Amino acid sequence: MSSTPSAAAAADSLRRNSKRPKYSRFTQQELPACKPILTPRWVISAFLLVTIVFVPIGLASLFASRDVVEIVDRYDADCAPSGSTRDKVRYIQSIADKTCNRTLTVPKHMKQPIYVYYQLDNFYQNHRRYVKSRSDQQLRSQSHENDTGSCKPEDNANEMSIVPCGLVAWSMFNDTYSFFTNNSQQLPVNKSGISWKSDRDHKFGKDVFPKNFQNGTLIGGAHLNKSIPLSLQEDLIVWMRTAALPTFRKLYGRIEVDLQAGDVINVIMQNNYNTYSFNGKKKLVLSTTSWLGGKNNFIGIAYLAVGGLCFLLAMTFTIIYMVKPRRLGDPSYLSWNRNPGGH
Amino acid sequence: MNLDETKSVDLQEDELPGLHNSSSHRSISSNSLRANSIKEVGFVDLRSKEVRYGSRGGSNSMSMSRREISDEDSRLVYINDPLKTNEKFEFSGNSVRTSKYSVLTFLPRNLFEQFHRVAYVYFLVIAILNQLPQLAVFGRFVSILPLTMVLLVTAIKDAYEDWRRHRSDWIENNRLSSVLVNDSYEQKKSKDIQVGEIIKFSANETIPCDIVLLSTSDPTGVAYIQTINLDGESNLKTRYAKQETVSRIHNNEKINGVIKCEKPNRNIYGFLAYMEIDQKRVSLGPSNIVLRGCVLKNTSWAVGVVVYTGMETKVMLNNSGAQSKRSHLEARMNREIIFLSFFLVGLCTVVSICAGVWLRRHRDELDIMQFYRRKDYSGEDVDNFKYYGWGLEIFFTFLMSVIVFQIMIPIALYISMELVRVGQAYFMIRDDNMYDETTDSRFQCRALNMNEDLGQIKYVFSDKTGTLTENKMEFQYASISGVDYGGEKTDFYEEQGGYFAQVDGLVLRPMMKVRVDQELVRLSRSGNDTKTGKQIYDFFLALAACNTIVPIVVDTSDPVEKLIDYQGESPDEQALVYAAAAYGFMLIERTSGHIIIDIHGDRQRFNVLGMHEFDSERKRMSVILGCPDNTVKVFVKGADTTMFNVIDKSLNLDVVRATESHLHSYSSIGLRTLVMGMRELSSHEFEQWRSSYEAATSALMGRAGLLRKVAINLEKNLSVLGASGIEDKLQQGVPEAIESLRTAGIKVWVLTGDKQETAISIGYSSKLLTSKMTQIVINNNSKESCRKSLEDALITSNAPRTSTSGDDGSLIALIIDGTSLVYILDSELEEQLFELASKCAVVLCCRVAPLQKAGIVMLIKKRTDDLTLAIGDGANDVSMIQKADVGIGISGQEGRQAVMASDFAMAQFRFLVPLLLVHGHWNYQRMGYMILYNFYRNAVFVLVLFWYALFTAFTLSTAINEWSSVLYSVIYTSVPTIVVGILDKDLGRTSLLQYPQLYGAGQRQESYNSKLFWLTIADTLWQSIVAFFVPLLAYWKSDIDGPSIGDLWTLAVVFLVNLHLAMDVTTWNWIIHASIWGSIVATIICVIIIDCIVILPGYWAIFHLAGDGMFWICLIGIVVASLIPRFVVKLLVQHYRPSDVQIAGEAEKFGAIIESRSAEIEMNQHHT
Repeated sequence: MSSTPSAAAAADSLRRNSKRPKYSRFTQQELPACKPILTPRWVISAFLLVTIVFVPIGLASLFASRDVVEIVDRYDADCAPSGSTRDKVRYIQSIADKTCNRTLTVPKHMKQPIYVYYQLDNFYQNHRRYVKSRSDQQLRSQSHENDTGSCKPEDNANEMSIVPCGLVAWSMFNDTYSFFTNNSQQLPVNKSGISWKSDRDHKFGKDVFPKNFQNGTLIGGAHLNKSIPLSLQEDLIVWMRTAALPTFRKLYGRIEVDLQAGDVINVIMQNNYNTYSFNGKKKLVLSTTSWLGGKNNFIGIAYLAVGGLCFLLAMTFTIIYMVKPRRLGDPSYLSWNRNPGGH
Repeated sequence: MNLDETKSVDLQEDELPGLHNSSSHRSISSNSLRANSIKEVGFVDLRSKEVRYGSRGGSNSMSMSRREISDEDSRLVYINDPLKTNEKFEFSGNSVRTSKYSVLTFLPRNLFEQFHRVAYVYFLVIAILNQLPQLAVFGRFVSILPLTMVLLVTAIKDAYEDWRRHRSDWIENNRLSSVLVNDSYEQKKSKDIQVGEIIKFSANETIPCDIVLLSTSDPTGVAYIQTINLDGESNLKTRYAKQETVSRIHNNEKINGVIKCEKPNRNIYGFLAYMEIDQKRVSLGPSNIVLRGCVLKNTSWAVGVVVYTGMETKVMLNNSGAQSKRSHLEARMNREIIFLSFFLVGLCTVVSICAGVWLRRHRDELDIMQFYRRKDYSGEDVDNFKYYGWGLEIFFTFLMSVIVFQIMIPIALYISMELVRVGQAYFMIRDDNMYDETTDSRFQCRALNMNEDLGQIKYVFSDKTGTLTENKMEFQYASISGVDYGGEKTDFYEEQGGYFAQVDGLVLRPMMKVRVDQELVRLSRSGNDTKTGKQIYDFFLALAACNTIVPIVVDTSDPVEKLIDYQGESPDEQALVYAAAAYGFMLIERTSGHIIIDIHGDRQRFNVLGMHEFDSERKRMSVILGCPDNTVKVFVKGADTTMFNVIDKSLNLDVVRATESHLHSYSSIGLRTLVMGMRELSSHEFEQWRSSYEAATSALMGRAGLLRKVAINLEKNLSVLGASGIEDKLQQGVPEAIESLRTAGIKVWVLTGDKQETAISIGYSSKLLTSKMTQIVINNNSKESCRKSLEDALITSNAPRTSTSGDDGSLIALIIDGTSLVYILDSELEEQLFELASKCAVVLCCRVAPLQKAGIVMLIKKRTDDLTLAIGDGANDVSMIQKADVGIGISGQEGRQAVMASDFAMAQFRFLVPLLLVHGHWNYQRMGYMILYNFYRNAVFVLVLFWYALFTAFTLSTAINEWSSVLYSVIYTSVPTIVVGILDKDLGRTSLLQYPQLYGAGQRQESYNSKLFWLTIADTLWQSIVAFFVPLLAYWKSDIDGPSIGDLWTLAVVFLVNLHLAMDVTTWNWIIHASIWGSIVATIICVIIIDCIVILPGYWAIFHLAGDGMFWICLIGIVVASLIPRFVVKLLVQHYRPSDVQIAGEAEKFGAIIESRSAEIEMNQHHT
């Protein structure tokens, strides 16, 4: 085609409004990038790194767990008359005195603070009906006293709102424990600060007092002192942090003296709480604590296993790479080079 | 069949059986005025109609067009009487509405349309279920949040688009036109135009509705229009006003008449009507109607009567979008999704049955059990509280578990996929390597749902003309009366700017210059006296006259110099006219009645007494000229196959033979050939012809058939003038592109309307064929012979060939022609053809009709799962573009119909290589990985929820906060998968182009297959077990509360899922870094925010947790332990069965070292 002046002018104007994509490394998908490739050196170093990190952590956890001293005493069966479940339920629902004496022996030196827990087995604090049956609004401020919509069936009693409402509060654990040394000296249990500070300060109101609580036909558990605001009812606060799993512990208090190995501790308890109706177990737990929490070997073993496995893998891959090395990026491994002619 | 389909087929169907010897075609729509190539226009929809490919059209002889337009199928338009026209029938006004909604209807209609997607219905059903009090798993607000968000975003997008349409509608509807009201023209808004009104418009005006031309500024009633808005073709087309009306307008007479025309239909190339004026019936056809959107050019004014308005105009009826094709990968994915839904049902069944068993076992305890409390004692009566009996409880549990586990079906994946495709399209459109400078066009994505299919193509069906070639014709050789000219050519520069003519002191030059043969120039100047001179004169006269080219005079900067631009629809004709001009036969003017040709400075006027336009059955056209010396001559131009049948061989056998041999040699070097013939008509013959011609043109129905009959009667006993060879140059880069595609394992089939010799020679020049290949040619005229040659061919193809490995010697090329295909397609021979074709590396189909092209595509599609791609540029490729899995239109010389029907459009064939090998590969790999990853991502979360359900007495309470479970797929994990789906590159562009074989990864489905799916599921299972049970066992018998361990699970799963992705990313650029690490940070922030809400049970949990060493140890342990199996499997596969992609990736990084090393080795070997 000829390029007369007019055509040239046209081409010029075309160039100005050209649709040519603006060049940028982004639009051409050529952004600077890093392409990590798994070279043998990287692979083996990675496995060894995992080994080096995991084995010490595993050992440390195991040692920590081993140092924790734990006394677990199941008392639900012994503290109720033997017989059928029905008898036990009848007993626990009666108004009889339910005091029960237990004796614990300290197996090893226990450094203070010694945490006192109660442990419930088979108690589904995470049951859908249960976890939802509470009103966090009501717990927080007096003005929401009548926010009991979510609390059914423990929302109202005698046509008045219950504070705190809901199944969770209603079913609060009410066994009590007192600890005595061999020479009948009481071991004081510190029950303050067993709940989260954040809960005391923000979640449970200072102006909210128990009202109309446990006034219904069926008593679920503990009664609350009507003159103490919820923010100071630490047992309630602890109970209201519903447990994640059907077997759980809740903090009861702290014993702030050391216990020596062989010490015998007498526990006088009020066995009030009904777990008999659903074959739930009740246990009293005294435990020291480590940086990692309570006595649990699982994490230590798991870490050692993973660390060990990675060490094995590092060795295996070292052997694999030595026995049958493959040159990275060698075009002769490309499928069309391996079996020529076969497309 | 509905009306317009019938009509569109039948407009060509009124053929006379037996008059054509080669393959017959069942064309879809009206033929265009092409000279040589068989171009039929197929814009009308092919979808709803059952077509038998390759079947013979003659059987369908019942023709609509021969019948009267019955009253119920027609509309009556009273010219210049809009009141009467509109009194009986409610024709729509001329206002158009492309917008979908109004302010009032927006909400209901938009919602209705959005809920057409299954995904949204699923969301909605789940959300509704959740609103039932028995099933309220999530809070009201939380449960509808994701759905509302998606709906809102889509609605805003739709509203914006609709607003833009409203605006453009408003502009369209308020454009002014002059309308004849009470005998004077008044300006009227476009929306007020009514059927029956007469409107007048001037040059460069856009026509606001469909009108029948009544008159134009040209005394003969010609108007030139540009249809660029209609079909994108920029060349000028001619439309004619009927003589009966032209004069009346010129004399300012009133016109009263009635037009009876078809009901509005979508066929933009057909129009059937007649006009009753002065008790005379005048027939009207497609050449008398000007459609909405056309622009009047080179005509100072035109007047017409409105026949179709507004939404009933042909262009608006054609406005429905392209049909949607489904992505292959998505179809496969749906299979896996069905499995996942079974899996979901399985999980829900397990939970609900266990819940039932649990309730049964505890049935006596439930009443007072602290955490169940079946009885409500607060009222007078002791009732059951929220307990509906054993059976219903199981049922409700089932439904609740469906709600909780809903994201097991990765519905959000469909939305992410759409986003990813938009992103991928963004990069494809902006790819500098797919931008064509000469046409200034970018790559276009017209369909947005099949990007990934581009990475799995196994068959490419390509048109030839305009696709492999440029469709820019250049006249190369002429054979005149048996003498071949065109051996030695001089460059046109030597000719002092080529031939020019002087008219009224102006210098006229043709716009395009043609290289000329000096000898022929000399001979043509020698005049009309010698016998050779006479022959040359007639030959060039035929070239200059026998066409439909319109010369347009273009100004240049020099006021005395003008350029002549030959506008026409056929590039071949353009080339011929330019060639004639270069040899001194310059076409200067064409009206419907005469043409003026400047012959060596002598302006001669020829009356055009009649013209038989090109049609695909005759494959020739003719023009009847009244010459200045008062003789009447008919000039015929056409394809050699049909021309030699009408040439009188007894006249000049030597010349015919010589011409035939020249033709053979032209076509064997890849030229397109045409034969010219001529006959002088005696006055008796002329009169005879004229009466039958006039009878035919004024026939109301079956006009096309009658005209064809007249033409066939006329075009006989011709004397041969000569033949022309026109070169259609291969597009730049075609041989390289074809080689790349073939190396990539893609079978390239070329389907062309050209002759066998031309096709084969193009095959050679485009490297499709090589001389070492075994060629099998099937070229038969009956079914039996087809069967025989197929059987022979199969034996040949099965015969063991001595092949040196990697050589082309082992390859077979199949060359088959359209006539044979008529017998093979749709018969039992199809199977054999498929078997044969699948063994061939190359298949060349020549002389195929448009529908046969689609038939060939279906031949493969029906029998294999392999993906097919069709690429073409012309209207004749529309059918195959629509049938193939992926259709690509070349936006080239031949208008835009192929583009309109296509899924992707580009300017050059060679762009297919970056499109498939680079973008296709990337898109496939990205999408395949993304789907698997999304399955994994959702399933791992669902499984963690499921495991927890086993520890909550099967009541589906979740430790993970409900906000977190909703945000999980919205914020925590969604962005990285989309970003990686758009941006990750497993290999760089250079490697993909260097090793086309890497494309095989997509063909072998390496990124998405059942094996990978099951591996992913197994991996998911393991990872969910680790993520769930490590915290469970670590915190067993501790005082951990639900929300705390829930936060741990949330963070663990999110870390895990994002690091899993990070492990699989190959190319880390800053965006990917930002998205992955950003997601993790965003998750932490969200968890912290949620835990700062006082009224949620989980208040402050994360802060307590973070102060606990166990939390961190669990988190690290989970991530490492979960990913080890995947990592090990990956390493083993990489070591023992490295994939090509992986090796190429390594080579990219270490390649330089290896290459230099191997070069060294080679050097050393050479030295030794």
